[in-house]
Amino acid sequence: MVDNSRPLQESATLTQDTSQSSLLSAQGLSKSFGGIHALSNVAIEVKAGSITGLIGPNGAGKSTLFNLLSNFLTPDTGEVLFDGEPIQQLRSHQIAQQGLVRTFQVARVLSRLSVLENMLLGAQKQTGENLFKVLLQPKQLKREERQNRDRAFTLLESVGLAEKAYDYAGALSGGQRKLLELARAMMTHPKLILLDEPAAGVNPTLINQISDHVLRWNQEGVTFLIIEHNMDVIMSLCQEIWVLAEGKNLARGTPEEIQENSEVLEAYLGQ
Amino acid sequence: MVNYFVFLTISTGIFAIFALGLNIQWGYTGLINFGHVAFMTIGAYTTILLSMQGVPLLIAVIAGSLLAIVLGLLVGFSTLRLREDYLAIVTIGVSELLRLIAQNEEWLTQGTFGLQNYPLPLGEFNPNWLSKGIMIAILSAIALFAVWQLKQGIQGEFQTRKQRQKIARFPLDLGIWGILAIILGGIIYFNGVIALVNYTYKAGLMLLILVTLTILYAIVQRLGQSPWGRVLKAIREDEQVPRALGKDIFWYKLQAFMFGGAIAGIAGAFYAWQLTTIYPNNFEPLISFYAWTIVVLGGAGNNAGILLGAVIFWTYNSVTRFVLPNFDWIDDARLGAFRLLVIGLILMILMIFRPQGILGKKEELTLGR
Ligand SMILES: Nc1ncnc2c1ncn2[C@@H]1O[C@H](COP(=O)(O)OP(=O)(O)OP(=O)(O)O)[C@@H](O)[C@H]1O
Ligand SMILES: [Mg+2]
Repeated sequence: MVDNSRPLQESATLTQDTSQSSLLSAQGLSKSFGGIHALSNVAIEVKAGSITGLIGPNGAGKSTLFNLLSNFLTPDTGEVLFDGEPIQQLRSHQIAQQGLVRTFQVARVLSRLSVLENMLLGAQKQTGENLFKVLLQPKQLKREERQNRDRAFTLLESVGLAEKAYDYAGALSGGQRKLLELARAMMTHPKLILLDEPAAGVNPTLINQISDHVLRWNQEGVTFLIIEHNMDVIMSLCQEIWVLAEGKNLARGTPEEIQENSEVLEAYLGQ
Repeated sequence: MVNYFVFLTISTGIFAIFALGLNIQWGYTGLINFGHVAFMTIGAYTTILLSMQGVPLLIAVIAGSLLAIVLGLLVGFSTLRLREDYLAIVTIGVSELLRLIAQNEEWLTQGTFGLQNYPLPLGEFNPNWLSKGIMIAILSAIALFAVWQLKQGIQGEFQTRKQRQKIARFPLDLGIWGILAIILGGIIYFNGVIALVNYTYKAGLMLLILVTLTILYAIVQRLGQSPWGRVLKAIREDEQVPRALGKDIFWYKLQAFMFGGAIAGIAGAFYAWQLTTIYPNNFEPLISFYAWTIVVLGGAGNNAGILLGAVIFWTYNSVTRFVLPNFDWIDDARLGAFRLLVIGLILMILMIFRPQGILGKKEELTLGR
């Protein structure tokens, strides 16, 4: 544990911590766009039940890593294990169905649907998503829809958007969109949520709200992997932090270890 | 006059069905299908050729619709993974390909000579008073259903506006739409009753089309408001979102494409029955754009809008066909082109002032993303 914060560039093997099983672990992930090596031989591990941070200077490859983990982009090399199963041969919607749900750096809400419809889209295994069952099992559909609405309203309530449930999501402010995206991800009953900069462009009061929700949902059993530039948020929320720089693993450790790591400071100051 | 309104009802009904199919594909899902007529071609030729072999009409129509689904599967499977403009190009190509096949495979389709004397639904039906009474009862049931749907639609819209804009009083425009719809429905209904009393083949066809349209409308409307329809609308706006939430967007697009095709295939059978003789030229690319005109006019993603769009389109069509020739500043040859030109102009004006279509919602605009 002592030298957990040492650099991990070359072989990127994971030091297995046996006290907590890992929910997500990836090794040897690489991705290049044309000539740009966005990621080379990157590893990451997220322990079950944890809130894990992912930081690094702009362009370090954090969002790209999210895209690879969720298979929104296919990695050039590397393997990803989620809940003990390899997932890189799955398609991205299947990964989401397994309980690994991502959000986007620029919040993606469906502005032509209502806030409530955005939420309902997140519900999994809906009878009404089958064309024939819509026509043949209207009762079942109605019952599920009512349950899903109840859950949606509970979640909207907790992020303070219940009043806006029937408004078009396009009418929400940037911060509210972030909240909606977070609540919508929760709607899927996820095991792990990948949050890409939840606090970016959000006013300070909302940031505190978001942190509180993340903490509460984490206590309810949801694991989080969070990309964030706001160090207060990262340091207060996370048990472990991974640092990327220029497409490579730079360090991993507890918030205290990372704060004292000279290479990390250098990477941030050097840009 | 009665017969003329029957003709108008039939044409409107057929193209309303046809456009409902496109509405699923483009209005709900955002799939750009410029070759919608291809499904109609398949549906029409399959139905007619099978029925000429003695296959019962209902089974022939179902077969035509199934083949349209197969066509949708083939075209969709090969293009829906690609960028969206590929679908636009491929569909228009496929529709022309099918028309050329119909033109050249004379052993099957008689080519440009056309298919004639095929079985028609209720073709030799000679109703007595009882049968006429039953038919009028069916028409009345449809009318009642339409009134109920109208009431539901207006109430639902009032409800959402109350929730969204916190208005309290019943909005004027909804009332006007309701009255217009009642008047229009009333004309179709009473004209239909008169036509059924003085029964002709066309009156029977009209009733069949209205029954089919009602059933399909109810199905599409229910699907559109279901979780299934919600996924389609999500895909239309930004397919990465449903993807991130565990929806198989490729499969949904394929379903929407095939389902819209199946509906257009049914429209094709009725189209052939209305024409009573079909030539490959009846299935020109222009027909696809009739459907587009209807959807854009009425409001993409809005099924009631599709009905309105179809009514306006055919009213315009018949008015210009019968009024314009009375002026001698334009000769017959140019008239056809002129009428299309005016439609183009209307669409352009619509795009400027109301791009969401007449009944569409500004906030749900499909165009111009
Ligand atoms: N689709 C793409 N095509 C080409 N280059 C890309 C693409 N996506 C990312 N890149 C490049 O990969 C590198 C890593 O980008 P990425 O978005 O992952 O960084 P990041 O760590 O999320 O940065 P930020 O903190 O600014 O969000 C950058 O140089 C970026 O320009
Ligand atoms: Mg990023």
